[in-house]
Amino acid sequence: MDLQTEAIKDLWKDVDKVGDLLNCFNCSTCLSGCPASYGDPPLLVRNLARKVLYGLEEELFEEDTPWACVSCSRCEEMCPMDVKPFELILHIRMWQSTNDETRVPPSITEIYRRGYTQAVATNEELREQLGLKPLPTITKDEEQLKMFQEMLMKTPVVEANSYMFG
Amino acid sequence: MEFCLFLGCNTPAVRPDVERAIRASMEELGVDLIDTDNYVCCPAFGSFPSTDEDSWLATSGWNLSIAEQKGRDILVQCGSCYSSLRMGREHIMHDKEKQQRVNELLEPTGRSVQGGSKIRHVSEVLYREITPEKIAEKVTHSLEGLHGIVQYPCHTLYPSEVVGFEDSPRDPKGMRELVEALGATVDSYSLEKQCCGGAGGFMKSTPEQAIQFAKNKFDAILEETQADFIAVSCITCLMHMENVQNTINKQIGEEKYKIPVFDYNQLLALCMGKDPKEVSAIANVPRDAIHAHLAKVAA
Repeated sequence: MDLQTEAIKDLWKDVDKVGDLLNCFNCSTCLSGCPASYGDPPLLVRNLARKVLYGLEEELFEEDTPWACVSCSRCEEMCPMDVKPFELILHIRMWQSTNDETRVPPSITEIYRRGYTQAVATNEELREQLGLKPLPTITKDEEQLKMFQEMLMKTPVVEANSYMFG
Repeated sequence: MEFCLFLGCNTPAVRPDVERAIRASMEELGVDLIDTDNYVCCPAFGSFPSTDEDSWLATSGWNLSIAEQKGRDILVQCGSCYSSLRMGREHIMHDKEKQQRVNELLEPTGRSVQGGSKIRHVSEVLYREITPEKIAEKVTHSLEGLHGIVQYPCHTLYPSEVVGFEDSPRDPKGMRELVEALGATVDSYSLEKQCCGGAGGFMKSTPEQAIQFAKNKFDAILEETQADFIAVSCITCLMHMENVQNTINKQIGEEKYKIPVFDYNQLLALCMGKDPKEVSAIANVPRDAIHAHLAKVAA
């Protein structure tokens, strides 16, 4: 790796606008108890933090591991330097989604289409059997769903990839 | 006490028996639950919180505004929904610029977020407001004689300054005391505080290791406890801890892992004498032994 030519010094400013990341001294507390650190390849938040700080844009671009995070936020609790490692993971995902349309999670098209990642409360027969009333979901309210969609269309990643939301 | 019930997606879509249990047991405890009409995805961490802050916080704001209009706090069972809604609210309420942006996006929909409604986890309301003592008084069908273990939802523990309600996230007590209130003995074990591993992309991206991660936990439960059941208070923990047992059994070719998993409100509703065909109707790991125990207590 040729740090001289490949490194982008200010990458951290694009990824983590808050700057908490600058506190990281690579202690690895974020890995202790992290479920996805048992993965193959492992999610190593500490290494991701280094890649951002060293400005290794290409390497960070190719990282799939931030998407293996279970969102338990244990790292956020344990980090002694308030780096907010879980939010760092979300920010790396945001940076990837913003710069590469293949990273845009398919779940957001589902939420756009029906309000949820899955078909909520369409199981009306089962609900009745269990003694449950129908649920007032947005999927059934065309007017509200349209307003929700129009709101989302004004946000950056949906707007930039509007062809996905036809 | 009255709350807007926020059901998320998995509970109404896949496990409406849990919804039934929450409604039936909370009503019995004097908690009124009203629907959060036209709510949307919390949003799940793998969705808008992974694309940009505008769509993330506008979606959180949409949900918060519904509860604010009704003048109620939001009650949640799903760990991910709880954490996403709390983190979303935290960002909106502690950064004036973000709040202004969210309200700009919400304005054409006739909504706004001012911070009037809080997000509460059902286990917190049961533990802190109702209290285990009051719950014990409502038990007509005791779990006495049975052993259980508890699974704390990570999303209610970490980060404690945003989501927490325990005295210490390193030594949580709520779930244990709530299960003891139903008459059961709660066993401890070495991996009690290990995450179930079911949320996010771990299972999807690296299933072999994710299953091994869960298997370590179940081996510890089998070796170190006399657990007849597992009590959780998060829909992901419930679904994952059931499914993964069946997956491991298939891999090893024997029915070694078969500890029934219950959402806490399901156990609570059963102990109040509610009909298992309604409040405990869907199970991927058979619950017959627990249902039979409660039927025997009744007889």
